[in-house]
Amino acid sequence: MVGVPEATDHNGAVISVAPTFVLVAIGAPVVAGLATLLMPRGRTALRVLLATCGPLASLLFLGAHLWRYGVASNEEGTTAIEWVPSVHLDLGFLVDGLATFFALLVAGVGVLIVLYARAYFGDDGPSLARFFPTLGFFTSSMLGVVLADHLLLTVLFWEATSVSSFFLIGWDREDETAVKQAMQAFVTTGLGGLSLLGGVLLLGDATDTWRWSELVAGAAGIGSGGTVVAAFILIFIGAASKSAQWPFHYWLPGAMLAPTPVSAFLHSATMVKAGVFLLGRLLPVFGLLSIWLPVVVAFGAVTMLLGAVLALRQHDLKLIFAYTTVSQLGLFTCMYGLGGAADGHGGVAIDWDLSQIASHALYKAPLFLVAGALAHRVGARRLPELFGLWRRRVPGARLLVVVLLAAGYALAGGPGTVNFVAKELFFGAVHHAAGSHPLLVVVAVMAVLTAMCNVAIAVRLTATVFGWRTGVDDEGIEPAIESHAHDRWGSLLWLPAAGLVALQYVGGLVPPLWNSAFRRIEVNANDVAFADGLPWLWEPFLHPGVPLAMSVAAIVLGVALGCSSRWRGEVADVHDRIYPASYRLVLRRGHRVFHMFQTGRLRNYLVLMFSMLLLSISWAAWIDPSMLRLPDGVAPFESLTGLLLGAVVCAAAIALPLVTERVVRVMVLGASGFAVVGLYLVYQAPDLALTQLMFEIISVILFLLVLRLLPRLDRRPRISPAPRLVFAALIGITIGWMTLLAGHAAEQRNGDAASLGEFFEEHSLEGSELTNGRGGEGRNIVNVILVDFRGFDTLGEITVLATAALGVWSMLPGRRRHEDDQGDASGQATPVVEVGS
Amino acid sequence: MRIDSLILRTAVRLVLPLTLLFAVYAAIKGHNGPGGGFIAGLITAVGLCTYRMAFGQRAFFRLLPTHPRWLVFAGLSIAAGVAVIPLLRGDPLLRSGSTTLHLGGEGLHLVSATAFDLGVLLVVVGVAIGMITRLGEELDP
Repeated sequence: MVGVPEATDHNGAVISVAPTFVLVAIGAPVVAGLATLLMPRGRTALRVLLATCGPLASLLFLGAHLWRYGVASNEEGTTAIEWVPSVHLDLGFLVDGLATFFALLVAGVGVLIVLYARAYFGDDGPSLARFFPTLGFFTSSMLGVVLADHLLLTVLFWEATSVSSFFLIGWDREDETAVKQAMQAFVTTGLGGLSLLGGVLLLGDATDTWRWSELVAGAAGIGSGGTVVAAFILIFIGAASKSAQWPFHYWLPGAMLAPTPVSAFLHSATMVKAGVFLLGRLLPVFGLLSIWLPVVVAFGAVTMLLGAVLALRQHDLKLIFAYTTVSQLGLFTCMYGLGGAADGHGGVAIDWDLSQIASHALYKAPLFLVAGALAHRVGARRLPELFGLWRRRVPGARLLVVVLLAAGYALAGGPGTVNFVAKELFFGAVHHAAGSHPLLVVVAVMAVLTAMCNVAIAVRLTATVFGWRTGVDDEGIEPAIESHAHDRWGSLLWLPAAGLVALQYVGGLVPPLWNSAFRRIEVNANDVAFADGLPWLWEPFLHPGVPLAMSVAAIVLGVALGCSSRWRGEVADVHDRIYPASYRLVLRRGHRVFHMFQTGRLRNYLVLMFSMLLLSISWAAWIDPSMLRLPDGVAPFESLTGLLLGAVVCAAAIALPLVTERVVRVMVLGASGFAVVGLYLVYQAPDLALTQLMFEIISVILFLLVLRLLPRLDRRPRISPAPRLVFAALIGITIGWMTLLAGHAAEQRNGDAASLGEFFEEHSLEGSELTNGRGGEGRNIVNVILVDFRGFDTLGEITVLATAALGVWSMLPGRRRHEDDQGDASGQATPVVEVGS
Repeated sequence: MRIDSLILRTAVRLVLPLTLLFAVYAAIKGHNGPGGGFIAGLITAVGLCTYRMAFGQRAFFRLLPTHPRWLVFAGLSIAAGVAVIPLLRGDPLLRSGSTTLHLGGEGLHLVSATAFDLGVLLVVVGVAIGMITRLGEELDP
């Protein structure tokens, strides 16, 4: 670990400014993005400038943080703001090497993408206006994912990246396919996010630590219990779905329908790397689990080879790069998987992992950017259409081709680029790990085949654009070249790509520069050969070993494959069918289940609900037969008036279905209600009586109003069949009995109050220990219950009331809407037609 | 729905102020005696509805210058505000507080639940008269 400067005192919590820097860095892109919405339309330059400020501010603040506090070890988290400590969720950050690297990568590429987007969207003002806030949202979420220290904070930002990427992928809202693919990406990564949440909850619960830093510090004691293993598997599923590991990789090529700035950002530098980042976070925590190595390496290796082979069989540039991204993500996963294996030298088989990831971003982002620029400039993105592009006289195309080929050379891992050394690093890791785990030889072979495919892709790309015989020219299409208006932002189409790819060569040719930047943040440097960082170009050749042999084999085979006529046509990925098939399955089955319960008949719903009620109550009575006894203190024949009123209620209820006229029914219902009012009075509940009285009045008025709008009822008197009558009687008796029991329910838990009634009598004015010494400070028990004891219920109820009223207002379109608001405003309102009632 | 009757109109003119007064009484008295926001709201609504039946929609809106939805909005806001304010002090949701106002003579005991009750009242009034007038419009074109 790199020494921590004196500014930190090994206790992150003491320093209060540091986490604020991080907080600002995370928030800046989204704030700047939203601020662009305030810019006047048409002022595109201003908008772009402001949007650039977001990630740029992140870069500056992260840089300032780095300069002032250095790189923390991965056991030092800091907390900016306590948020919800009760669920172990604070705005706490862990700015170790891994996080710093990813954050700088996200912010740095973010700046370039903002600039590139200006050139890509051209003068399309509305698109730009919509793009920058969404991009800012995504950038912020991504920065949050990599910088978060709290497990749940990571999940939160993780989901935010899923949501924002959904908007970005489905950018073209008119394009149905794009929206579908965005859904596919969202559902896949979203389900992975749920899995991540489950894993994080299990992990936090099992270890009682909710911060990555504390988890790393206590990694040795984490054990390998069933819960920990389950947590690891769930979290790995989350990471795998985000990082497009087999069999979830299908969403990534599908997401290529997004505009190119999005593809370049999401799929080279950021979102798909979130899963890789998570694996980097997990390595110190779970690396010792015996399941880590086989699971992570297996999925990584399969993805790596599958992606490479599929990439070779594509013709669309963006799809080619998408599949190589899948392949590269598999390689990263594999690399972190190998981190769980001890190599022959006693260390762990992982070296300079961040350089490896940086190297990928530095050639993949330019490839995407150039693919988009070509589509923009030349109007072609498919290999056959690009045949012989170099010789065609398209303005600006040659520049793009140079950048494309430079990045393609890096993709192939040619000597002189960082990626060459990165491949060496990976081969070395596999070779070393294979020393102790012989089965990993298979992975070594797969790695060579993957590298071979990459070389072949680069060779074909080169041959195609120069129009050589070995290029892809099986269609002979000469595309119509749309010449786009050359605006002054046009250079932004290739400048970001060129800048990024130049770093590949700087790092590859002058490694000390690269090393000085990366040495401070790289944690894993176990192999002696790479202890000082990337070697000079000639060093591997001076000390040839197995890794170099693998590289040479890959290059030779790759060139041969690239020139051969084998594996040329386009193929579709079988896995593309996974999502549509499961989608259809869910829809069809769901439809069936839905229709089983949602019959659209009120009667069926009621029968279902009441049957469940009856069943559960019968079950309870079977367990506790005392429920069937009349409770103590019930005197049924206490008051004759009460009995009489009860009889009126019953009579009204029985008469209700026998009456055919609706108006009469309403009145019968009213009679029953008023009899209940009388009952309340008899039993000395003036509040309830008053409420019921008012309520009856209002409901009778409402009923009469509604009735006039209903169609006539057929006059045939109907007596329900016997089973229904029995059922109804059962329900009535059960519910009545339950009410009786509830009223007299003894307070079992605390001996002081004999019944609920007595409890409220005692506590409505002054509290006791039962209520933490607080009473309702009122003498009206009913009201104190309503507004104090059960105040939350009341709040919910008035919300329901308000919603119902909103429903009435919105579903019955106003005929005289103007008069609602300005009842006495106009003299030309229709005269009131008087309707007798 | 309008009942054209002189007797009703005259009676309502006399009864409505009394009804509203009684509603106010019920609302204030509610915490210690029979009454409360819900009842007071219903009383108000019944009073206003009878007024509407006697005088018709337009006269009714002259009496009540805003749309009932504003009543609902205000009521719900007050209730939610009372519910949320304790959170700002670090107390649980809806924790009630009380203070005693001394305006000379006997102290006036004010409970935060009273404000909550006022919210309930406004919502009940707004919803009841809102629905009745809205449905009434269907009948009185």
